Amino acid sequence: MAVKVLILEDNPAAREFLGRVVRESFSDTITIVEAGDLESARRAVRIAGGAQGYHGVDPFKLILVDLELPDGSGLELLEELRQYPATKIVTTLYSDDEHLFPALQCGADGYLLKEDRFELLVEELQKIVRGEPPLSPAIARRLLGHFRTHTRTGMNRRITDEANRDALRTGTATSTFTSALAFAAPAPVEIEPTLDLPALTPREVEVLTFLSKGFTIKEIAALMSIKWFTVNDHIKSIYRKLNVSSRAEAAVLASKQGLV
Amino acid sequence: MSQSRVRPMGWRRLLLLPIALLASLVVVVLARTLAQTPDLDARWRLDSSGHLQLTASDLPPLRAAVGSSLDVIVAPGVAPLYVDGRRIVNSTRWIASDDERQAAARQQREMARLLEPGTPVLLGFTDRTSARVTPHARGYETLGITFWLLCGLGLALELVGAVVLLVRLDLRNLLYAVMAQCQAAQLLLAAVDAVPGIGSLSLLGGHEASLRMALDVVTCAALLNTTLLYPTPLPPRRALAWLTWAATLAFSVAALAFDLPQAWWWCEAPSLGTGLLVAGLLGWSYRITPHPYATVMRRLSIVTTGSLALVTIVVALNDRMPGEVQSLVSAVPVIWTVFFASLLLMSPFLARSQHMMREFAMLAGVSTLATSVDLLFVAVFSFNQFASITTSLFVALGVYAASRQWLLDQLIGTRAVTTERLFEHLLRIARKVEEQPARAADWQLELFHAVFQPLVARHEPGFTKTTRWYEGGAGLLVPLAVEQSFDSVGTTSQFDDGEPPEPRLIVLRFAERGQRLFTAEDARLADRIVEQLRRAVAHDRAIEQGRSEERGRIAQDLHDDIGARLLTLMYKAPNPEMEDYVRHTLQDLKTLTRGLAATTHLLSHAAGEWKADIVQRLAPTGCTLEWSFTQDVEIQLNVVQWSGLTRILRELVSNIIAHAKATHATIHADLRDGRLKLTVADNGIGGTPKDWATGLGLGGIRKRVRTLGGTIAWQQNTPDGVRCDVSVPLASPATPSIPAPPTWPGAGAG
Repeated sequence: MAVKVLILEDNPAAREFLGRVVRESFSDTITIVEAGDLESARRAVRIAGGAQGYHGVDPFKLILVDLELPDGSGLELLEELRQYPATKIVTTLYSDDEHLFPALQCGADGYLLKEDRFELLVEELQKIVRGEPPLSPAIARRLLGHFRTHTRTGMNRRITDEANRDALRTGTATSTFTSALAFAAPAPVEIEPTLDLPALTPREVEVLTFLSKGFTIKEIAALMSIKWFTVNDHIKSIYRKLNVSSRAEAAVLASKQGLV
Repeated sequence: MSQSRVRPMGWRRLLLLPIALLASLVVVVLARTLAQTPDLDARWRLDSSGHLQLTASDLPPLRAAVGSSLDVIVAPGVAPLYVDGRRIVNSTRWIASDDERQAAARQQREMARLLEPGTPVLLGFTDRTSARVTPHARGYETLGITFWLLCGLGLALELVGAVVLLVRLDLRNLLYAVMAQCQAAQLLLAAVDAVPGIGSLSLLGGHEASLRMALDVVTCAALLNTTLLYPTPLPPRRALAWLTWAATLAFSVAALAFDLPQAWWWCEAPSLGTGLLVAGLLGWSYRITPHPYATVMRRLSIVTTGSLALVTIVVALNDRMPGEVQSLVSAVPVIWTVFFASLLLMSPFLARSQHMMREFAMLAGVSTLATSVDLLFVAVFSFNQFASITTSLFVALGVYAASRQWLLDQLIGTRAVTTERLFEHLLRIARKVEEQPARAADWQLELFHAVFQPLVARHEPGFTKTTRWYEGGAGLLVPLAVEQSFDSVGTTSQFDDGEPPEPRLIVLRFAERGQRLFTAEDARLADRIVEQLRRAVAHDRAIEQGRSEERGRIAQDLHDDIGARLLTLMYKAPNPEMEDYVRHTLQDLKTLTRGLAATTHLLSHAAGEWKADIVQRLAPTGCTLEWSFTQDVEIQLNVVQWSGLTRILRELVSNIIAHAKATHATIHADLRDGRLKLTVADNGIGGTPKDWATGLGLGGIRKRVRTLGGTIAWQQNTPDGVRCDVSVPLASPATPSIPAPPTWPGAGAG
């Protein structure tokens, strides 16, 4: 049976290029569905069984999503397809963490940079599908910061001076958010029983710290005296925790706003 | 919580009420007693021969005698009293010689026997006329305004003493309360003294002078003991305290029970001695702990002792003055008593009341000076009264004008920082806080250090909404205007649990290197500085935010439009060379837009990204990388530095990939003493760098290094390959508020 792949990309040249990359990456028969905007991508997903992917007779196995689209951001689709059982990959020109991190939070399993060489892209795509997602130093840093604020707010929340907070409006934007979260976290929410925000293990923190300094997985394995695939397991686990924590966050926010 | 706090205040307030009632009752009883004493309804003044001259009277028999001087008072059944005008005083406290004092007391007693309400007396005048009058109770209205004012001051002092003791019951406050009680009593007696008329008011018989001296000596003892305890407990305090109290007891017993000979001098000498000793002890105390309270009190005690010395001289010379000025002399001690009492009254509130107090102290001091100088002129140069008053007024005004500023400085100490300097500091610190938010707390500490020049300035955790001062002005607690933002510091110490608590307060102690107390004005100034700093920083941030939004928009446009076109161009490139060229251009574009979007990058973060990028680029060529990065201090790269270094490195690595055919590359980066030394070496086929043709992108690299103010040199590597050394100064990146746009694209890719 052919493997179904969805490529959401508005640039025809890029769409064609990515199609070549996908075909080159796998030996299976590939059926590629191309979409130029969010609307047609949604339609394609509906035809293939809907966003939950439960009743799909023939769901997509791989979805490549561009972030900048004529009718919105690829993040929207990723958000809708959180539960969709496919490997979701962000393809983008933006390599910086400001753009990539939200995508990973929305459940992307990895990212590809569109300007990379053909051979490199093939290799990267194979790795992601194998469960070896990339993690750039900038994103490693973001992850460290993300999990730090989570573990922190629960431990030592302080009453801050209103005036000082005003003066520091820019600086505290995230922390007020997370402290609101910490307030809400203990409240029981019916639909999401596992609301405990996951924390990183010391090993995972170590791996992330090395990654943020630009070390390769091989080097990290040598530095930590562990196997290469153990490092990779840590990275996968970090990805998973990010996804879980983002979902928990989203659920909490939704319940706060009375959406659930 | 509030319960336990309010309750003790409750019983203290309740206790204060009976004390106040009791004190008021004392004043009322005193006034009532005085109002019932007999007097003649007449006003007198001293003439030059020492007789009392009648100036006005409402009694019909006396109207004819206005202008005559009183010689003798005769009453039936009592020996006639030849009145000496100089001895008509209500208080004998300020009479220097024993004989005079006894004579005055004797005359008081005889006067009391002569003047009985309802018993007519015959007044004989020097011009041989006489008048028969009947003394009456003098009534409340003749007690005079001075009486009531002094009573009021006495009451206030009494209450302040009680309040201080009730707020905290300890030895120091007890001593203060003792001083306050003594001086309050002294003021009441002075008030009695100030009642006009010739009728005797001696309520205590002959012991009035002795009692007042005893009160003064007890005050001196308490003052000395307070000095030994505060601000710094001094080593010999036990011995000295016992000695002082023993001497005080001995003096009091001797004066009250045995009529101590030369009692006045026995009282004045220890008073002056105490003043000098207190000044000396405070100097010593300051050397042990530089508490500004010691300095301020020392200056005050010197001023007080000086004026007491003047008063003593004037009173001692009283005999030699002509009769008509002697009534003035009696005013000098009263002024001094008021002066001393007011100092005492305000000393617990030194930090709160400095402005008011120093003006008041100046006024009292100058009036003491003027009166004393006036009387000295009269006594020494035998001037007539008008001439002496004029001269002394001029002298006093001259001294006041010449020394006012100096005196004020000496009394309180000036702020060393002018408004202009303050403004400069404020602006500079606001800029620094903006540049290095991680050190915001340090910069604010520096600002307050510059403004108040305290001996101690440090951070503390804790919280205060507005500036508060404590220990009576020894210290000041200032809230931080801008809190340290740790988020921007980086990831190095994120998981240290032993991280020190964030500073939230600035604690300042001992203003002006311990020369000055913090005042309420200082607290207000500090609050205003904090507010201004907040505003300045908020304003700077708003501007910076506006700029970065603008830059972000430009970056977004560039990225979306040009980036998409370049991408299409790259996919449709006819050959790999063209594709690489476009890819390179695209990467440069990304560096540019990234530089525009973010303002600063930490060097360590940048290094991590450089390494990851280079590893990825070298991987397909089979070239291994040896990478090392060290830094002695973490710094922020500005946009120019970040994009410059990023592209220098990329270019050098591109050359290795494209031309060197190397199997191993070595990159060392080392930041030391503000210089980044970058070494990029390979083992390829570089040959002699001198022979290289231009157009390998080397020109672009050179240009970038020059922009950063650094140097670059290529040389042959051993055994083969090429080594490139780059050295770039990165110290104290004076982040320009408008980052210079990175020069675009100087380097044609190789």
